[in-house]
Amino acid sequence: MKKILIYTMLLLGILPVLAQQKGYRIEGDEVVFTFHRDDYHVAREDGFGHKLDFDNLDIRSVAVAGEFNNWSTHQWKMVRVDNDRYELRKKLSDFDHQFSWEFKYVINNILWAEPDKSDPNITRAFKNGRKLRAYNLRLFTARPDKNGNTTFWLNGYPKAEKVILAGSFNKWDEQAFRMKWREGFWELTLQLPPGAYEYRFIVDGQWMEDPDNPQKVPNEFHEYNSVVYVTKDVPFFLKGFSDAVEVVLSGSFNDWATEGYHMQRTPNGWADTLALLGGKHHYKFIVDGKWMTDPQNSVREYDGKGNINSVCMVR
Amino acid sequence: MRQWLAILGFVLGGVVVQASELGRIGFPKAEWITENTVRIPFALVDHLIVVEASVLGQKGGFIIDTGAETLILNKVHCPKNLPMKKKTHSSSGVMSAMSDTFQNMIEKLSLTTYFSIPNKRADILDLSHIEKQKKVKILGIMGHSVLKDYEIFVDFYLRQITLSKLDKSGNTLDRDVYLERITDSLDFKLNRHAIVLSATINKSSLTLGLDTAAELNQLTPKANSRILKYFYPKERVKVMGVSQRKKEVLIGDLHRMKLSETVFMGPMTTMLSRMDHMNQAFGTELDGLIGYEFLKQKRTIINYKKRKLYFISFPIVQK
Repeated sequence: MKKILIYTMLLLGILPVLAQQKGYRIEGDEVVFTFHRDDYHVAREDGFGHKLDFDNLDIRSVAVAGEFNNWSTHQWKMVRVDNDRYELRKKLSDFDHQFSWEFKYVINNILWAEPDKSDPNITRAFKNGRKLRAYNLRLFTARPDKNGNTTFWLNGYPKAEKVILAGSFNKWDEQAFRMKWREGFWELTLQLPPGAYEYRFIVDGQWMEDPDNPQKVPNEFHEYNSVVYVTKDVPFFLKGFSDAVEVVLSGSFNDWATEGYHMQRTPNGWADTLALLGGKHHYKFIVDGKWMTDPQNSVREYDGKGNINSVCMVR
Repeated sequence: MRQWLAILGFVLGGVVVQASELGRIGFPKAEWITENTVRIPFALVDHLIVVEASVLGQKGGFIIDTGAETLILNKVHCPKNLPMKKKTHSSSGVMSAMSDTFQNMIEKLSLTTYFSIPNKRADILDLSHIEKQKKVKILGIMGHSVLKDYEIFVDFYLRQITLSKLDKSGNTLDRDVYLERITDSLDFKLNRHAIVLSATINKSSLTLGLDTAAELNQLTPKANSRILKYFYPKERVKVMGVSQRKKEVLIGDLHRMKLSETVFMGPMTTMLSRMDHMNQAFGTELDGLIGYEFLKQKRTIINYKKRKLYFISFPIVQK
């Protein structure tokens, strides 16, 4: 049987323990690539050439190169924010099909800004399958962020040396998300895309469910995984209908309520924002008692009763 | 992933059947539309399309795989007292590597209370290595023998599979399955269970298999130099070869693929690797495989009976 295990992709490198991530931050639904001159000390020419000191560099342009753009040294040019800082914003949804991405900054299209060995999100660089004496940065689509949208707590265990948070958001990695000890509890805040996630804690090597979370599902080890639901604010807008008296937003997310979800009148139409779970939602507007699909949304589906609904996808 | 699944699909093409009582496979998240059409949301596990299912009270994932010939159940999660029959012959030399292939009959795949797929032969195999690699519980693989009687809409925008029953001519029994407009179509050949497409790159033609479980596209290094001119190498990755031997393959982006005068593909991440085993598995001469990279660019409807693919455009999302 083992002989049919062919072509299994080997993952090169091990996930580092995440702390403050270097080279990017995530704001809402955007990844903000950030380059600050002070964060780097050494640059190297392409092809593992000369080492150059950052102090003597005349930086004319900075680009971000990585797995996401075929390591192009010029395609994703960054915007200069001030003398020493450059930024580039990209949609997080362009990255969410992979848990981590390798990248690096390129100065003047030819020099690679080398991360320090002490940076938390580095991984060994490889070329033609050979290990290089250099590192790439890694971007994690789920990552600890003190301003993130989901905080995990584990009460007690003051004598534990290490508590790890592992879940479906990081393929149950047993190292990556290390929790921090506060007074009386362990804590970690993550920024997660909307959706339902299963998770467990690993306290000094012992796996356990979240004892304070009643939401849980059985797992294959005859124990339980805890479940957390992450929502996202989704705006809805109906253009026009200025003569209408009331517009109600009704959908699968509010059990097709006909009351209690009144949209707000705006100069151009009607608006509302709802916190929704990740995934597909059907909805309709009720304009003065008359049901209608969203005229500005081309995505529509039948339900199981022959009705046609608009569809929004939250991700 | 694709490579060994394809070989499994080939290996399991035998005719041994034994009835038993494994019973029903349920899909708890399936959405019943009519008695002929059902939608099932899927999750992407890396680049695999996985739908949630339950077998005998156990919940887990089923991989949707047009490259697999049959329905496959993971032996690890089958009850120990499950009656099954050991396969007695094989159709390829690869079978000699497999000592524990069994089969069983599935009475019913219950997608919803009103929509089920009856009497399908299932091959019983140990799939624990996929679980170990992907870190998800896998109950089985849904291959061609289940999918062929339906029109299958693989929708990466709404992250769902729509299955709609076909009549003998290949028309859906429901007249209006999709409310979004079909914008293009493409003919394909069906070689055994393999969907075979003709494509061109730089005016050179190539033959490709479409496989929903191909996590990376694959292209033979023997391809015409006019084609390889548009393969831009990115990195070398180590993969495990047959007999557990590691080998290095080149991964890069394949540009300028045309599937017809109107169906164009953007750059697709592709692995340059010999196709010998794939060709053996699919029983045809292929220059490459396309899968996830294709489906993420095209919302694709597969109709096995009409030998056609149809495409629906991604919507323009207003912010």
